[in-house]
Amino acid sequence: MEKVKIIRYSPWLVHFNTGACNGCDIEVLASITPHYDPERFGVRLAPSVRHGDVLVVTGAVTKKAAERLKRLYEQMPEPKFVVAVGACALSGGVFHGSYPVVGGADKVVKVDVYVPGCPPRPEAILDGIIKLLKKLDGGESEPKPS
Amino acid sequence: MVEATHMIEIPITVEIPVGPQHPALHEPLLLKLYADGERVIKVDVITGYNHRGVEKLAEKNSFYRDIFIVGRVCGICNAVHANCYVRALEYMLGIDPPPRAKYLRVLAMELERMHSHMLILAVTAELAGYETLFMYLMKDREYVMKAKEILTGQRVLADYMMVGGVRRDVDETKISRILDMVKRVEERVKYYHKAFQEDITINRRLRDAGRIKHAEVLAHSLVGPVARGSGVKTDVRAQDKYDAYGEIPFNVITEDYGDSYARAMVRFGELYESINMVKHILTHLPQGNPVPDEKKLPRRFPVDESYATVEAPRGELTYYVSSSGSDKPYRVKIRTPSLNNIVNSAFAYVDQMIADVPVILGSFDPCISCMERAIITNLKEGTRYQVPLKALGGVRK
Amino acid sequence: MVVKVSLNLVDLLREYAVKSYIMKPNRLVIEIEAGKLREVFTKLTEVLGKEAFYLATIEGTDLPEKNLIRVDYFINVFKHNAYLVLRTYLPRENPVIPSVTDLIPGALAGELETYDLLGVLFNGNNHLRRSFFVSEDISSKGIYPLRKDSGV
Repeated sequence: MEKVKIIRYSPWLVHFNTGACNGCDIEVLASITPHYDPERFGVRLAPSVRHGDVLVVTGAVTKKAAERLKRLYEQMPEPKFVVAVGACALSGGVFHGSYPVVGGADKVVKVDVYVPGCPPRPEAILDGIIKLLKKLDGGESEPKPS
Repeated sequence: MVEATHMIEIPITVEIPVGPQHPALHEPLLLKLYADGERVIKVDVITGYNHRGVEKLAEKNSFYRDIFIVGRVCGICNAVHANCYVRALEYMLGIDPPPRAKYLRVLAMELERMHSHMLILAVTAELAGYETLFMYLMKDREYVMKAKEILTGQRVLADYMMVGGVRRDVDETKISRILDMVKRVEERVKYYHKAFQEDITINRRLRDAGRIKHAEVLAHSLVGPVARGSGVKTDVRAQDKYDAYGEIPFNVITEDYGDSYARAMVRFGELYESINMVKHILTHLPQGNPVPDEKKLPRRFPVDESYATVEAPRGELTYYVSSSGSDKPYRVKIRTPSLNNIVNSAFAYVDQMIADVPVILGSFDPCISCMERAIITNLKEGTRYQVPLKALGGVRK
Repeated sequence: MVVKVSLNLVDLLREYAVKSYIMKPNRLVIEIEAGKLREVFTKLTEVLGKEAFYLATIEGTDLPEKNLIRVDYFINVFKHNAYLVLRTYLPRENPVIPSVTDLIPGALAGELETYDLLGVLFNGNNHLRRSFFVSEDISSKGIYPLRKDSGV
């Protein structure tokens, strides 16, 4: 039942860099390559924003990028979810407190999953997306102890 | 003057750390091309986005904190940034790191060159329409990422350099594992090199695209593989011989023709050189302790200035650092290779076909991902639409 | 040998050199009058040839205590394995220097940057504009971020 729902659900990713060092971006890129086999979860890059299910945000979110982030989010059809990847997208990272760094994607859009790291490994990024799927399904995101 | 029929805007982010103090180290630039039909007639590199930078931030933090900040100017080439900055500090302090540290630094930087070249070659293949090759290259690049992790503890951001040496040592197990990774990569790189040389699509798309002459390279201050692809024999590793480059044998790779194919071939040549350097380092590593005692490092720096250069994967990267006697720098000036190679290369697109633009841009190695989009405006009809960058390649015919 | 070439360069630019010294680790600094900048570049091109060097970096620094802005031109004379720094000082209230983009198109990136961040005016460069790099909210206030009193 739950397992079948997960398998049928195929999340397409839209990636947006709000002003980052590209460290997280290359790990997001790596996570969609065969070594990590994201396709077994149905995870792939969406051909356009309007086909996206999951918005993957990297970067410390500068003011101008914040406007674009909001617009991008609004262009995505429901149901849509946001995964913030990397320390900068979580809280501004090394640059927290600097104006005008907004300091975290959740100051602009509703974030469903936070993946910490500088940058996080591709496995961690995929793990974050899978946790999101399990959460949505009403299932447990952590395995129950047997 | 020929009138433009189309305007194509390509937003690209390059690692130029300018602007006021704040981060978002990536400077989004906009490449604005005016085309008459299929031919580019005019190019503007403009910026319409928010910019901020590391240079002001560096003045507000201690010399040592700045090592970790400048390492985040560019995730792809963080080791060279940290290395160049650290050496600028060492020149000021008159510190010479132990031989083992110098060798390990070169190891970290050459592994970085390998991953960076494999990345841009994968992106080049993708932009030329060869997606399978992109996937294969990215898969084999993972060996290099593993090697980087074994050496520095992290796949991407090494945080490996410190004034006086490196932050961690290697043991025999690590050495043999890294050697193993590199030997596997070597086989694969040979295969990809052959693929580039023999594949009809790659040849048709890359050859003659964005041809730059020797004199133009120097006049426009282009650096790195872009310069060497036009026959300019300049490589900071051979010139400054910093760290252990004076002792480790290697060749400066050049090609003569100056098109996107030549630039890709330079990168393959450099991959082989890096592989050989890594093998040499791992079998000739000097003994000793490469990790400095950070407690013994001075907090305040004397009044002085220095200028360090490093051969980043994209070309010459320079750091000017000055101290006015406190624990924070007075000035840190970072000139990234992309500042020159992207801002000064607008001339290379003029008279080229729109279809060749993505490949030419890719051959300059900006921090571009193939997920980038181009916005095309039909000036006669006033319509605008977005396409993925590589789709411009299909505009021809 | 690097030292020999450095001496040649000092000799070569003797008529322009106000002062010369070494910047660590081994960069030859020659201080010149800002107004002579174009002549010096022309002389270098004439004597060394266009294929011997390239302009690597343009760097500006605010020196409010001296009421000056310093602009350095780092030239990589790679053919002779040497690095030359042409150093100029401009009055802080009116930092103007001739542009060299017609002689060396590669100066464009550095001149644009130094104008936008420090307010140095490169006479003859028609592409200079605010907000090329700096964000609008700062440039619209007339602020040059890298000045020590910019407040950012």
